[in-house]
Amino acid sequence: MTAAAIEFQNVTKVYRRVFREEQVTALSCVSFAAGAGEVCAFLGPNGAGKTTAISLLMGFHFADSGEIRVLGCAPGDVDAKEKIGFLPENFAFYKYLTAPKLLQLHLALAGNQSAEAAARIPELLAKVRLNGYEEMKIGKYSRGMVQRLGLAQAFLGDPQLLILDEPTSGLDPAGRKEILELLVALKAQGKTVFLSSHILPEVEQICDRIVIIDRGRLLREGRLQEMLNLGDRVEIVADRITEEIEQAAAAGGAVVERGAHGVRIVLDAARKREMAEALWSAGCDVVSVNPVKSSLEEVFLKVVEHREAGA
Amino acid sequence: MKIRAIALNTFAGFLHNKLILLFLAIFLAILGLFSSPLLVMKGMSGPAAAQMDSTVLTLVGLMMTMVSGFGSLLAAWAAADTVAGEMKSGTILAVMARPVRRWEFLLGKYLGVQLLMAIYVLFMFGFSYLLTWMGGAHIQTTPWVLIAYPLVRYAIYSAISMFLVTMMHPVLAVGLVLLISIQAAMVQPGSHPPAYLPGPLRTIVYTLLPSTELLSESRFLTITQASLQKITWDVHAITLGYGLDYALVCFLLAVWSFRRRSLSRD
Repeated sequence: MTAAAIEFQNVTKVYRRVFREEQVTALSCVSFAAGAGEVCAFLGPNGAGKTTAISLLMGFHFADSGEIRVLGCAPGDVDAKEKIGFLPENFAFYKYLTAPKLLQLHLALAGNQSAEAAARIPELLAKVRLNGYEEMKIGKYSRGMVQRLGLAQAFLGDPQLLILDEPTSGLDPAGRKEILELLVALKAQGKTVFLSSHILPEVEQICDRIVIIDRGRLLREGRLQEMLNLGDRVEIVADRITEEIEQAAAAGGAVVERGAHGVRIVLDAARKREMAEALWSAGCDVVSVNPVKSSLEEVFLKVVEHREAGA
Repeated sequence: MKIRAIALNTFAGFLHNKLILLFLAIFLAILGLFSSPLLVMKGMSGPAAAQMDSTVLTLVGLMMTMVSGFGSLLAAWAAADTVAGEMKSGTILAVMARPVRRWEFLLGKYLGVQLLMAIYVLFMFGFSYLLTWMGGAHIQTTPWVLIAYPLVRYAIYSAISMFLVTMMHPVLAVGLVLLISIQAAMVQPGSHPPAYLPGPLRTIVYTLLPSTELLSESRFLTITQASLQKITWDVHAITLGYGLDYALVCFLLAVWSFRRRSLSRD
């Protein structure tokens, strides 16, 4: 992995209620890293601790133990924040401002009031398809427009690291596609993107690295391709297959599908050799034997279900 | 630049805050209601006018006390609401994601409140002159006193409120500020009702709480007596210095308390 843009080392965060003994462990000894230039997806069911982790990363909350580094700095460090674009979950705004005014405010907060930066505001608004709404107060924006504006303010100032909490939330399919294309373009520019999302097929399209947490614990971390290839099932494509073999395979738990190029049998990797030998013995042509590549959604569900079964 | 941006945005927020605007409208309506008898009385002439003079001046004094008291409440509420409102709505997250230090955020908010209060004081200043003119009297003290003293007093109340709101709900914070101001008035020497605290404790409380009596511009307004109070520059400097110091300490306490505060949508 390239130099880490984000590093969590044994991070624990416990929420305590004042005057009550109630405690909620939001994160427990979580360790992971996201390399510079990577798109890293931070996944987990609702209440997994994703937003808490992002809040710790931004310096909004403080960890009880462990260490966090963002672009080599402590969370909340002004030097690091100068290079970060952040989109909070359910982006909130000053309703009385217009989009250009809000972006100007954010430029001022970033300490950048150059004419060049201000001139980029219309371009940025066009990029998130908010051009034509410059005079409208943000309070009158739809949920999707607000989300687009949130993304525009995150992209403001050409940040080195983007931390996006549910970036496609509230967007229609076309809007989601556009945002994904924007993220792909940012990735091509070498930016680091750390995002949380529940829409896994989209995440799968753009991510290099996956971090899965649930109930405050890290369940899986690694490169996307490695995770998807971890499938424990294989696909055998055979021709001239007999009815008896087909029925025997189905009875053994395999999934059998007839297609134009032969019969596709999907079964546990452990039974691969046994099935291949049976096919050869029966005089069938074995066209190919390949591992079944799981989708991110399948990997995610398997990891989370496994955790629940073990809990 | 960052602090200025936060301060101006805070002030813009006040101008769009429906609750503050509603209170101001109600307050202005009450003032209008109170001042209408003055207009009627100003039209009187002869012996009737002379008889009404003391009534008019009493009314003007009462109204200025109201305006001044409302300003204290406004300062406390504005300071509490502007910080709590950012937390409640979640707008603070996008702001603090920028390279803004926590003290810079609080200072920007505080200066935004002071800007609001400066405009309020100017309104109060103009209004006090208008009322005294309507009542047929005139203010005999120097104008800067009527501006500087309430500004310092409001700076104290807003700093206390900002400190409290970093730890508690804004309504509770404003309630506590009110309680503090009432206590401060009750423990000052020669206050009415008479002392309800034992002597040493009363002295401690008097020392700890902001001395509102010292910082009251009504000491100089003297509408009812129309007499100029002779106060030297060094006394002004010490009194205002005390007030600014009190506000600074409270603001630094707010910064210290906010330093490790979890920032999240409440």
